[in-house]
Amino acid sequence: MKPSAKRVEARGRELNLSVLLSITILAVCIVATVVNPRFIRITNLVNILQQISVLGIIACGVGMLLISGQIDISVGNQVSLMGIIMALIIQRGGEISPDAAHAWMIQWSIPFAVVVTFAVGTVLGALTGLVVIKSRAHSFIVTLALGSVYRGIALLISRGGSFTLYGRFETLGRTRIANFLPVSIIFLVFVVLVTLVLLKYTRYGRFLYSIGGNRKAAYVSGIKTTAVTMRAFITVGVLNALAALILISRVGTALAGTADAYSLDALAAIVVGGVAITGGKGNALSIFLGVLLIGIVGNALVVMNVNPHLRGIFIGVIIIGSVTFSGLSEQRSRM
Amino acid sequence: MVTGMALRAERIVKNYPGVQALKSVDFDLRRGEVHALVGQNGAGKSTLVEIIAGSVSYDSGDIHIGDQKHTYLDPSRSIELGIQTVHQENQLVEEITVAENIFLYDLPRTRYGFVNLRSCIQAADVLLQELGIDVEPGKKISSLSFVDKKLISIAKAFSRKARILILDEPTASLDEQGRNALFSLIRRYTSLGLSTIYISHHLSEIFEIADRVTVLKDGQRVSTKAIGETSLHTIVPEMIGRSSQSLYVRDKKGRQTLEQGSLLQIVDFHREGVVDHVSFSVRAGEVYGIAGLVGAGRTELAQLVFGVDRSDHGSLLLDGKDITAGSPFNAVDEGIGFLTEDRKDSGLVLIQPVYENITLVRFVKEIKKKVKSLLNLAKEQDDARTVVQQLDIRTPTVSQKVINLSGGNQQKVVLGKWLFADSEIIIFDEPTVGIDVGSKSEIYKLIEKLADDGKFIIIISSDNPELVSVCDTVGVMRFGRLVAELRGDQMTEEQIVKHSLGVSVIKEPEL
Repeated sequence: MKPSAKRVEARGRELNLSVLLSITILAVCIVATVVNPRFIRITNLVNILQQISVLGIIACGVGMLLISGQIDISVGNQVSLMGIIMALIIQRGGEISPDAAHAWMIQWSIPFAVVVTFAVGTVLGALTGLVVIKSRAHSFIVTLALGSVYRGIALLISRGGSFTLYGRFETLGRTRIANFLPVSIIFLVFVVLVTLVLLKYTRYGRFLYSIGGNRKAAYVSGIKTTAVTMRAFITVGVLNALAALILISRVGTALAGTADAYSLDALAAIVVGGVAITGGKGNALSIFLGVLLIGIVGNALVVMNVNPHLRGIFIGVIIIGSVTFSGLSEQRSRM
Repeated sequence: MVTGMALRAERIVKNYPGVQALKSVDFDLRRGEVHALVGQNGAGKSTLVEIIAGSVSYDSGDIHIGDQKHTYLDPSRSIELGIQTVHQENQLVEEITVAENIFLYDLPRTRYGFVNLRSCIQAADVLLQELGIDVEPGKKISSLSFVDKKLISIAKAFSRKARILILDEPTASLDEQGRNALFSLIRRYTSLGLSTIYISHHLSEIFEIADRVTVLKDGQRVSTKAIGETSLHTIVPEMIGRSSQSLYVRDKKGRQTLEQGSLLQIVDFHREGVVDHVSFSVRAGEVYGIAGLVGAGRTELAQLVFGVDRSDHGSLLLDGKDITAGSPFNAVDEGIGFLTEDRKDSGLVLIQPVYENITLVRFVKEIKKKVKSLLNLAKEQDDARTVVQQLDIRTPTVSQKVINLSGGNQQKVVLGKWLFADSEIIIFDEPTVGIDVGSKSEIYKLIEKLADDGKFIIIISSDNPELVSVCDTVGVMRFGRLVAELRGDQMTEEQIVKHSLGVSVIKEPEL
């Protein structure tokens, strides 16, 4: 067997994951359009993007973290907790009587809630990072535990109930520019672009890949591995805060478990997007395509009037297909 | 005295990719004898005993155990044949009793299938008394001293009806008293007809305990002699061999100019139990080698200097200026490069392309300098191409993943990474391990060129001919201390080995 000949051949067959994801997305769109032409309407497509904006923002943070070899499965609980805190502040603000001595607080309650949410996001990210680094345990286990803690705190604060915004905070989630483009999509695009630049064109991004690819080699090369890891966890927390603001603004109420499902949905999207669970591999475009594919499949099933409970099954199949593809192309490139 | 052969290995050949570990080695072991096996690192001692223990397969040759011929062994078969190995590291289970450890492979059971601890302890008691080991069988292993653990390991081997016992560096980290206890145990069971293969770097012990000694060198047997017919002065040259023909001869003419130039001082590096107050100095353009046995603290010293590990104290001075690193981040900034012993483990990000590996350290330095500009990928790849050409790294493109490169080219990528970051002080730890002969001499040439460019080069190596041919000065470490510095005519393989083993203690270097 001539290895050189084989390598050339393999390169010819090499298929990029981004291309494959794009083709799959296109195929799903075509099928959905054939079954129900309403799918391809611009309003529906905008709708899909709006629906995935929260997932996309969370996935960018967790994706960068996963590239550096760490995982965070508490993100959904973080978002839920921040949603509760934020909604609580806004609701209390709304309950102040205009005649009260502290009536001036009414107009400040929303900016205050936004600032607090970002502060809490930063603290939660830093806390998660700190526990992972200090405990030296695997971040999967640590964030499993912390997720439970965050959920517990959210339940304590909300006493199991819900907080309602009564339409007082709709800009982020519901407002549309020129009555067409939702603000949340702009945030999503912005976050994806920043992630892309960070990962591809900054030294910090390169350090994330190096730490995920070989932590020891990165350390010996002079990279401050714990500081970089810490920063990645904090980034996750800050993006979660943004996601919480958009989500609660759109939904209008906050429950202790509102966003819990995002932990695994984000992970699913990232893995579909080709980020290796062991770290060191992946890119922003593919992560976005992974998020988009998952969003489109969900929407297409509804539009095609298929039982929406099939969504889980489809997503499972997509994940397995994607990782199998990544594994195969990996093997080929090593031949 | 029992007579006859316990084991006879004939024409054993073992090939590893790129290396012939054993080249037709003969070895025999009589009943009731202690047969010592000596040789330098990489001589083939471990490979030979691992083959006998069945944990490594051999490519050709015959092994006779008792009167049976075996062409194939595996661990369970070797154990069945009565071969037991006691490894250098403790392999006992810490949290259970001595008795349970001894009989772990076949614990006595009650009729309900539970472990019968009482009969287990009784049996252990009988065994320990027979061997003259004074340890309470009901005690937990974790409460025992290091010596007692070693003795229990041997007792365990004995209880499995061992006829051949392989002891790998059994006296490592034992004091005088512990060694005596161990030796009396060995004498006791050899008198019962057991045979022992004894591997040790401490040549003086061999004359205390062994009946015969076999010297291996480069996968070949040099000699097998009765202990009375040989001496340290015969064995050491045999281990080194006749003037080995090094593939590489460095032109060291004009090296006298090293008297001038910048001076790098390694001052009093110390870490309790690992590195013992080591100081030496290197001139710009000098290649300083560090020799010693595995475990002498050489890698640990490099890790302290580079800041991978914290030192108790020690400082690094460049022309009197303190550049002590304390962490790899600072070391990189001070222009220190470190090619680690295991490039796959800590030198390279294997799944990344060549160019990303080459530019990594430069980026770290730029971060320290607060460079904020975005990366220019095209320029980065061009830079990497220049490095690839300079070092003659053979790769189809700079985007090739490092995992697909050969060992020699991978090592050049690691070197390229440090050179691209303008490292002035470069520490090589075993730079040519696992690298084929051709690439080896290319790496030597590169090292020579770096020295000519006025860099400070420190090379840790277990390959003594390599040190002799490449270095200007060789420091020898033993038990964490720098015991000798060899230069000029003094810098020979024989001197290095003598100092590594502590055979003839010459007066300490004045530092």
